Amino acid sequence: MNQTLLTVSVGAYYPLDQMALAALITELPGLQVIPLASDPPPRVLVWDPGQGEHVNLPRLVSETKVLLLVGDMESPTLSPGVAGLFSKDELPEALGVAIRQVARGDQYLSPSLALALLERGEAEAASHEIDLPTLTDRERQIFALLAEGLSNKVIASRLYLSVRTVEGHLANLYTRLGVHSRTEAALIAIQHGLASKVR
Amino acid sequence: MNTASRTRLAVLGTLSDLHRQPIAYDLNCLRALVADLAPDLLCAEITREAWEGGDLSAAAVEVREALAPVVAATDIVLVPVLPTPTHYADFTPATGWRRDVARAFNRALRWGQREADRPEAVNGAIFGAFCHTLCALTEMMWTAEDRAAWEAQNETLAENIVQAVRRDRGRRVLVAVQCQRKHWLAARLRRRADVELVDYWEL
Repeated sequence: MNQTLLTVSVGAYYPLDQMALAALITELPGLQVIPLASDPPPRVLVWDPGQGEHVNLPRLVSETKVLLLVGDMESPTLSPGVAGLFSKDELPEALGVAIRQVARGDQYLSPSLALALLERGEAEAASHEIDLPTLTDRERQIFALLAEGLSNKVIASRLYLSVRTVEGHLANLYTRLGVHSRTEAALIAIQHGLASKVR
Repeated sequence: MNTASRTRLAVLGTLSDLHRQPIAYDLNCLRALVADLAPDLLCAEITREAWEGGDLSAAAVEVREALAPVVAATDIVLVPVLPTPTHYADFTPATGWRRDVARAFNRALRWGQREADRPEAVNGAIFGAFCHTLCALTEMMWTAEDRAAWEAQNETLAENIVQAVRRDRGRRVLVAVQCQRKHWLAARLRRRADVELVDYWEL
């Protein structure tokens, strides 16, 4: 019954932000804050570069996923090596969900950031032909919710399915669409007007 | 998606504000327990309308102050399974000797709550038998209509749980219900072919 705690390190441009972040994550269930230099390394690094500052990530081992905190005035950018972008306008509890999602190897984008990214078309444009008839009803539902920029947890909660089940559907969906990320998949849905069709 | 034939399911009895007064139940224990179990799905006693509307005001205190906060911070997905917002305390007879007897049983149950102030104790054999007996006796003090309404609510609640299991087969499901329902519900779910009923610590 006792599950291993998911290890997390925190880093921030300002020491006060780092302390506050560590205190918050410590309070979230199932997470343990450890130093970045720990052996074994943390599963996730939550990094707050500060308002308008450059993202100067420390050197990391490949197993450590990076979740970047983004202020609402900043332009979201998916930097290399960053697995997720978490908007500071989200509720603090959602940070626990985001940490788990990147720890499992998926991307995380806060809904507001995902929509901003999609509107800017910054992600690689996709022109795949979509074979919609091969999608199951459940996949269509999940595809539509993905296009709204929702996280796996929120999609699962909307459909009353487990997060693992949603992840399984998304993996199938990516294969069928020939894409490698949720942003690409969401772009396809929006570019082809699928989001409104499948809703 | 998941095609496993049987779903592991545990029924966790919780104490709640059934007597409409503060209780000695340590909700931190419940929060830690559910977070530690980390079920895929958590069936909880709140109506779908209230949950989707974000209205926790009518929900039992353990849903409002323990289960909902844990769900918000983890990957656990809450499935609202309560068909109607009626609680156990709503069935207490209003007048006569039956009310006096029901009150006496309630006082005994409150004593039991003070003694069993942790989830481990609430779900233990001693409190389980104590609670089950007192609740059965209390229900005998209700009117036939109230007993029928309570049973109908429990039947629909059980059916909602089964629907959740069928929607996402093979996952780990925790059902958190007031301890008055635990024995009844466990007996019903044990008979389901697609459910493997286990103790909560085996989930």
